[in-house]
Amino acid sequence: MVFIKQVPDTKSKAGVNPDGTIDRARAKRMLNPFDRFALQKAIELKKENGAEVTCVTMGPPKAQEILIDAFDYGADYGILLTDKRLAASDTLATAYALSALAKYVGGVDIMITGLQTTDGDTAQVGPQIAERHNVPQITYCESMKVDNGKVIARRVVEGGHQKLESTLPVLITMANSAAPLAPKRFAEVAAVKEFLHHPEEREKRVKSVNLDDIGADASKAGLVGSPTVVGKTWKLGELGGSCVMYQGRSALDEVNELAEQLQKDDRGIGELING
Amino acid sequence: MANTGNVTVVAEQLQGDLQAVTFELIGAARMLAKKLGVGVSAYLIGSNIEPIAEKLIHGGADDVYMVNDTQLEEYTTLPYRRAILAILKHIGEPPPIILMGATTIGRDLAPRVAAYLETGLTADCTELDIGDYQHKGKADPLKVGTFNNILYAIRPSFGESLKARILGPWKKPQMATARIGVMEAVPTDSSRKGEIIKVPVSFEEHDFRTKVIETVRDVSKAVNLTEAKVIVSGGFGLGVMEGFETAVKELASVFPDSVIGSSRKAVDAGWIPQAHQVGQTGKTVRPNLYIALGISGAIQHRVGMSNSKTIIAVNKDPDAPIFGFAHYGIVGDLYEVVPLLKKAFLEKFKTKGAGV
Repeated sequence: MVFIKQVPDTKSKAGVNPDGTIDRARAKRMLNPFDRFALQKAIELKKENGAEVTCVTMGPPKAQEILIDAFDYGADYGILLTDKRLAASDTLATAYALSALAKYVGGVDIMITGLQTTDGDTAQVGPQIAERHNVPQITYCESMKVDNGKVIARRVVEGGHQKLESTLPVLITMANSAAPLAPKRFAEVAAVKEFLHHPEEREKRVKSVNLDDIGADASKAGLVGSPTVVGKTWKLGELGGSCVMYQGRSALDEVNELAEQLQKDDRGIGELING
Repeated sequence: MANTGNVTVVAEQLQGDLQAVTFELIGAARMLAKKLGVGVSAYLIGSNIEPIAEKLIHGGADDVYMVNDTQLEEYTTLPYRRAILAILKHIGEPPPIILMGATTIGRDLAPRVAAYLETGLTADCTELDIGDYQHKGKADPLKVGTFNNILYAIRPSFGESLKARILGPWKKPQMATARIGVMEAVPTDSSRKGEIIKVPVSFEEHDFRTKVIETVRDVSKAVNLTEAKVIVSGGFGLGVMEGFETAVKELASVFPDSVIGSSRKAVDAGWIPQAHQVGQTGKTVRPNLYIALGISGAIQHRVGMSNSKTIIAVNKDPDAPIFGFAHYGIVGDLYEVVPLLKKAFLEKFKTKGAGV
């Protein structure tokens, strides 16, 4: 089971206000870039171990787009958890809802997430799903294989890496130094997505469920289930804002003026050079 | 009776070496504790750690809760989780605040503990403070209230160019992880005294479902961005991978305590390993001097380095955002500027050794 998320596309100019803030309603949306590593790993496991790959996501109805796209890469099933009561979920509430979804599906041996999302940036939801399932976890995973009912994984640590072994079921979060998502093979895409044109088949492969469908406790989800709240935000405005600029003259003049100014301003460059 | 109301830091040690982030967190905890009128506790977990417990006291902790067990020699999630829960149970009432480092250990362990306790956790904070909060709660009326002396966990929201204050006043402990190199340690004082409390732990068999087969740490290869006094960083504006050799390293060679940094774009291009990356998905740094070569200064980069004491930027685009927050900027071709800059630095500032 791969947990994926649709996030605002920060590379697209659509919906990006002139001051750099994002208008979520107008912004283009995309698959969280970190999730591409998770999806790739799942597809590899499918090829190596014959696993079935179910992608799940939580979001508005439109978020189904990323589930459909995941079929292009080789996913077998897609489930969207969508419910107005999920709005304003923090990581604890998100992990609760997603773990309820995983329990509803059942029989999951390996849960995979991206390390973090580009809009939340917390890296918390994966471990919190693992806690709810009482399963071990391997975060910052660079590579892994399943051998003899066990997972052998390589994990990034500060200044190096670690080789770990874990029992199944397990939750893995994939680091962005893992293998990138292999490009879609367009010859196969049309055939893979043929089922979308057959309502019955489509219903089996792509589902949309709400909190009641999966038997989740709505008081643990969304705003009411979130122990944290965003109290205040500030725009990251101009910092300092008093850059001394050197331009329009010869590079030599500019550099010499800068060096003199650094001396005048007592920026301690000498100490840094002389050690 | 142990003081149950202390601001708490979960210490991080690797093979008996306390990590710098631990002392940074204790520094932040001291500031928070002063505002709350309480003390600072540290939790120390590992094997053969008795000799280092005192260092936490010297670094500013008032007491240390220690789980010392041979089965904790190498970090794995579940046994360390069990050790923290054992300490919390030993203390009885949860502390007001628990802080951990935003490291590969802290970001692995903190969410696990927070989910078990069903409490709030704010990731990768860059500022911490204490203050009041009034929750009006139109949509969640059960949470309405006025809360005094709660944790302000402040973090950048990169995607939206915002800084956000996250609050979790309803439940103790309020938890946060803090980025490495952001908080300030307090000076070590080896005359400080404090109690060291040994806490027993009983593991369950399923705590050992994950085993470490081997750990490879190459200290010589480790890129210590967070402790270097000078960082010379290269971005996509270098144009070619070789720019890291001919411009970035060349300029860095002037400074004995310097490290090479980079923007995400240069990492994505495969020019330099990710360990060098500064910013959103890389490291947060605040060296004395940060020199940005060919870096545009997108918000994702800026949040990782804007606290540097002096920022010098070289970029050929006069409208590059980096000139909005650098202290000094040269508009020009970095390959022309760098050799001149190196020469000027050495001529103007070098006093020791043979010079160039």
